Amino acid sequence: MTNEALDVLIDCRNVWKIFGERSDEAIKAIRERGAGKREVLRDYNCVVGVSDASFQIRKGEIFCIMGLSGSGKSTLVRLLNRLIEPSMGKVEVKGRDIAQMGPKDLRALRAHEIGMVFQSVALIPGRTVLDNAAFGLEVQGVAKAERHKIASDALARVGLADWANHMPRQLSGGMQQRVGLARAIASDPEIILMDEPFSALDPLIRKQLQDEFRELTKSLGKSAVFITHDLDEAMRIGDRIAIMKDGIMIQQGTAEDIVLHPADAYVAEFVAGISRLHLVKAHSLMAPVSEVPGDVLARLPRTSPEADVQALIDLVLSTPDQAVAVEDAGTCIGVVTARTLLEGIRGEEHAAATIEVVA
Amino acid sequence: MAWKQQIKAFDAWIDAGMTWIGTHGSAAFSALRGLLEGGYDGLLWLLQLPPWWVLGLAVGGLAWRLVGRGFGVIAAAGLILCWGMGLWPETLETLALVLSATTIAVLVGGIIGVVAGYSPRVAGFVDPVLDLIQTLPPYLYLLPAIAFLGYGPATAILATFIVAVPPTVKLTALGISRTPNEFLELGTATGASGWQTFVKIRLPFAARSIMAGVNQSLMMAFGMVVIAGIVGSGGLGETIYASVRTLDIAKSVDAAIAIVVLTIVLDRISQAAQKETP
Ligand SMILES: Nc1ncnc2c1ncn2[C@@H]1O[C@H](COP(=O)(O)OP(=O)(O)OP(=O)(O)O)[C@@H](O)[C@H]1O
Ligand SMILES: [Mg+2]
Repeated sequence: MTNEALDVLIDCRNVWKIFGERSDEAIKAIRERGAGKREVLRDYNCVVGVSDASFQIRKGEIFCIMGLSGSGKSTLVRLLNRLIEPSMGKVEVKGRDIAQMGPKDLRALRAHEIGMVFQSVALIPGRTVLDNAAFGLEVQGVAKAERHKIASDALARVGLADWANHMPRQLSGGMQQRVGLARAIASDPEIILMDEPFSALDPLIRKQLQDEFRELTKSLGKSAVFITHDLDEAMRIGDRIAIMKDGIMIQQGTAEDIVLHPADAYVAEFVAGISRLHLVKAHSLMAPVSEVPGDVLARLPRTSPEADVQALIDLVLSTPDQAVAVEDAGTCIGVVTARTLLEGIRGEEHAAATIEVVA
Repeated sequence: MAWKQQIKAFDAWIDAGMTWIGTHGSAAFSALRGLLEGGYDGLLWLLQLPPWWVLGLAVGGLAWRLVGRGFGVIAAAGLILCWGMGLWPETLETLALVLSATTIAVLVGGIIGVVAGYSPRVAGFVDPVLDLIQTLPPYLYLLPAIAFLGYGPATAILATFIVAVPPTVKLTALGISRTPNEFLELGTATGASGWQTFVKIRLPFAARSIMAGVNQSLMMAFGMVVIAGIVGSGGLGETIYASVRTLDIAKSVDAAIAIVVLTIVLDRISQAAQKETP
């Protein structure tokens, strides 16, 4: 096994989920004659929830799955801890095929390796915040004093140390969602599945929680699969983003990939409204070094290939030459001029227009 | 008249059947009778243990804590009234009858309710039976009971149990089956076992519904215990039955008042207990 393979926590290969009583026949039709979603619904009265999804979650990354209502996000995320059984395909968690696991192994997997946070939060009403946060540990049979200690630490991590003895109904929506997160991290899972955890919150709290969540996940070294119907949220949180439509994962990539190279008109339309200031990086904007004379190049300010548009604008404006050199490991790999910057920002409409022509 | 003979044959058949069950099941029935009466006697003995005013104050105190100060005072005053009317022994007997029948109804009904809550198939079988029990006049249940258990409190408790069991079964099943899906998902996603999901998730969510069922069972039991006076149950029901027969209207009214007091006190206390459940 290569190092890279070891780093893959979840490996999802050609996974399908078909809902309905005649799903067996539907699968056969899909396999044998490539029946489409509409056909399956018409002929077998079955709904294709997830269609041929393949992706990998790597150690330490936050993978966002973005799609509109009914696109199959909740179904997909539930396939990862087998809350839903796949109709076809294979899900491996840390190299083990979860379809082959017995009930005991599966419980252990869910208790120790994969945590989950729900949109509805699902805090048990009759329990204190502390006992809610300790729920997973309680299920694992951790002794009371011990689980309270761990749960208190988890609550402190999400800034709710003072609320341990309150009841869930006394907390605001944002605070409740933090308790849900504390409950998930208290069991110290390697992977956290989040199904639209912030969707019901107002925008300001939401932004705050997004940042907190990202920071927390990174500082704990966890991996996360984060479901959202909001592209801004996906871009803010995700290291990589997958876009779903009608059960199909139409594109996967970094925010920058998706904004700069939308896979089809649907994605292009989605990303059209996204501000590129923080997404587009110097390495995808820069022109060849030959654009500027050598003597000018020598006196230009330097920046890294990862510098975003915002930073580049500041740099370009700060020099009389109105350009900045992009340097990687000591060598100049390109230049960003006022002109390349403007082209880069215009790119949205430009890209969208090209796509339309193509389509 | 062939049909008259057929009816006679039917009656004879029933008689024979009853005798058969009576002789072959006699050991079982006397055991059941012993169990019911033993439980009843034990409970009654417990209730009779403290002096009347201690029990009155205890019930008043409980009502105060659970319902409120005003009702605590009313409950205590009501029990003093029962004593003042010279009906204290009968009041305790009725209380013991109601509590033992309700306890059995809650235990048995709770178990059936949980099973029905989990399994729609069981529910599909149990529901019509419960509906039938609730449709027929409660009086009817005295018949099989008296046939097998004879005259006395055991018959009263069995018949009362039959009448009291449906609400607990129905509301327990409802509570267990209506656990919100997201909480069941939480259980599964945290790796909870079936038993853990039942105890930590389904039961807490069903608690309110179950308590409502217990309260209703209690009230059904009250109604039936009074009717069961006719089979020699003892208690206020029998007092009413006996005094109506001898046209002692005043005494039957006293007994009725005692029943009303007891009903209201237990109803309010059990309702308050239901509200306390989260
Ligand atoms: N248990 C089920 N039985 C039948 N069809 C289902 C079931 N669960 C989901 N579906 C269907 O599968 C499709 C995908 O649903 P899913 O809940 O995964 O969407 P989603 O992307 O999470 O949507 P939302 O943003 O509204 O939560 C929908 O068409 C839905 O009707
Ligand atoms: Mg969903």
